Amino acid sequence: MNELFPGLAQEIVSGVALGCIYALIALGFTLIFKATEVVNFAQGELMMVGAYVNFFFITIFLDSLGFGNWPSFILALIASIGFSVLFGVFLDFAINKPLKDEPVFSMIMATISVAIILRAVVALIAGPITLVPPSPFGNSVIRLGSVAISTLDLFIILSAVILVSIFYIIFNKTRWGLAMQATAEDPMAAGLMGIPVKKVYRNVWIFATIVATIGGVLLAPRTLLDTNMGFLGLKAFPAAVLGGFGSIPGAIVGGVILGVVETISMGTLSFHFHWIKEINDVIVWIVLILVLMIRPVGILGKEEVERV
Amino acid sequence: MLKLIGVETFYGKIKALHGVSLEVLEGQLVCILGANGAGKSTILKTVSGIAEAEYGSIEFDGQRIERMDADDIVRLGMSHVPENRHVFPELTVRENLQMGGFLITNGTTFSSRLEEVYSRFPVLKERDRQLAGTLSGGEQQMLAIGRALMLKPKLLLLDEPSLGLSPILVSEIFETIKDLHRSGVTILLVEQNVNQALQIADYGYVLTSGKILLSGTYEELKKEDRVKEMYLGEGKYVRRSRLWGT
Ligand SMILES: Nc1ncnc2c1ncn2[C@@H]1O[C@H](COP(=O)(O)OP(=O)(O)O)[C@@H](O)[C@H]1O
Ligand SMILES: [Mg+2]
Repeated sequence: MNELFPGLAQEIVSGVALGCIYALIALGFTLIFKATEVVNFAQGELMMVGAYVNFFFITIFLDSLGFGNWPSFILALIASIGFSVLFGVFLDFAINKPLKDEPVFSMIMATISVAIILRAVVALIAGPITLVPPSPFGNSVIRLGSVAISTLDLFIILSAVILVSIFYIIFNKTRWGLAMQATAEDPMAAGLMGIPVKKVYRNVWIFATIVATIGGVLLAPRTLLDTNMGFLGLKAFPAAVLGGFGSIPGAIVGGVILGVVETISMGTLSFHFHWIKEINDVIVWIVLILVLMIRPVGILGKEEVERV
Repeated sequence: MLKLIGVETFYGKIKALHGVSLEVLEGQLVCILGANGAGKSTILKTVSGIAEAEYGSIEFDGQRIERMDADDIVRLGMSHVPENRHVFPELTVRENLQMGGFLITNGTTFSSRLEEVYSRFPVLKERDRQLAGTLSGGEQQMLAIGRALMLKPKLLLLDEPSLGLSPILVSEIFETIKDLHRSGVTILLVEQNVNQALQIADYGYVLTSGKILLSGTYEELKKEDRVKEMYLGEGKYVRRSRLWGT
């Protein structure tokens, strides 16, 4: 038992950290869906592109300019966010504008194509090898009694909490945030209020791209960098559905739960029950199906109310 | 103030407006009448930029607006209260009004406008923090109008503001419209309550199948058999000579 606890505690923290990444991807995905009704299957690839761009900036600051670990990390993060703004504007132009009112099927085909193109372009530029991104944390751990927690994981959790809080304040307390909500609810009425709907859509794409990039920056030191990193973004869908599709708090809760379940099942559970190892890849989906059987609208989803 | 010439609007390949021309002078209250599906809402949507005019011109306050986006037209001083209210159901009453005042960047202007709307519709102040989706139909209509008034528009487009309301609320809404008219707001009104609407209107247009059929003052339109037949509920008018004649 005293063996079990530290392992489990470590796994939970690690799982929450992983879940935070899922939550960030699911947040961007949900925000885009709510505001523009585009189902963006390339959200994971946005994270991948962000992570690569960040790697590129870090090597410039660290190797070419000879800055220290932390200054390089922070400068690269700022530069990557700057890139995300431009990339978001581009995606709004390339995905949102042409696809907005198209049928869901064409939209899904198109965003999947975008995902594949992004993977190919990055592989072309960066080469097909796996990169090891430098992290200012290295492999350092913080010890709480017998529990050792990775500093990187704590940093991921902290960053995600800060990011989500900033998002919450923007979304609920600022003029543009409210305009975003109003546009998501009723774009026609929003336009009649003088809200520049097209600008709101653009802002949503910028925001979702920034969140994805930061997710990528946080995740890369944990998983290493290769072009298949975006597949992890597919977990954003079960996360979003688990939490309640279209609900922003739901996306965050769903992401965290998913991360914890996955980490524990991969660790402690499969150590004690060997058969779990066999079903590890599908455990997430099993949990998803169970939740949906008990509560079809997801954990925080609202029952759809027919409006008259 | 507003002038449409030969406006044609399509939904896909279907033509909803077949060359509509009409004019609203400054300070006037003008009413558009017509059966369901005649294209009344389409006229308002085309004017406010939600729908696009394929042909024809729309002039507002000396400016051509037929190619502008909805949000740019609002900036010129026109507000459109759409059919079925379209309040933001998941936002509170106050947040809805905040969105109505989205273009106001000055805090004191915003507060004084908010107070004006609250004093016109005290029930909105009471329901300040309530989600708009939980309001009754009448309250939602007041919110929709209040939201449009936040910008002090020169021209107000109202699409069936009395739709689905009880008779008491209908007269309340009409009182509000009269009052706005008196205070100098130019109004283009679409109404089902033809009698009441024509009584307060300076001028009316009758629309059928996307075309203007007739126009005139209340007194003039009242005399028209076709108007009486269709809208004033006085039964079918058939000329005696037609009953007997050849
Ligand atoms: N969004 C739409 N898509 C397709 N056809 C529409 C749409 N809105 C209205 N129409 C059609 O255009 C015509 C005029 O509609 P509308 O302007 O709403 O009439 P009214 O307001 O006078 O009842 C109708 O035949 C209606 O079916
Ligand atoms: Mg209508």
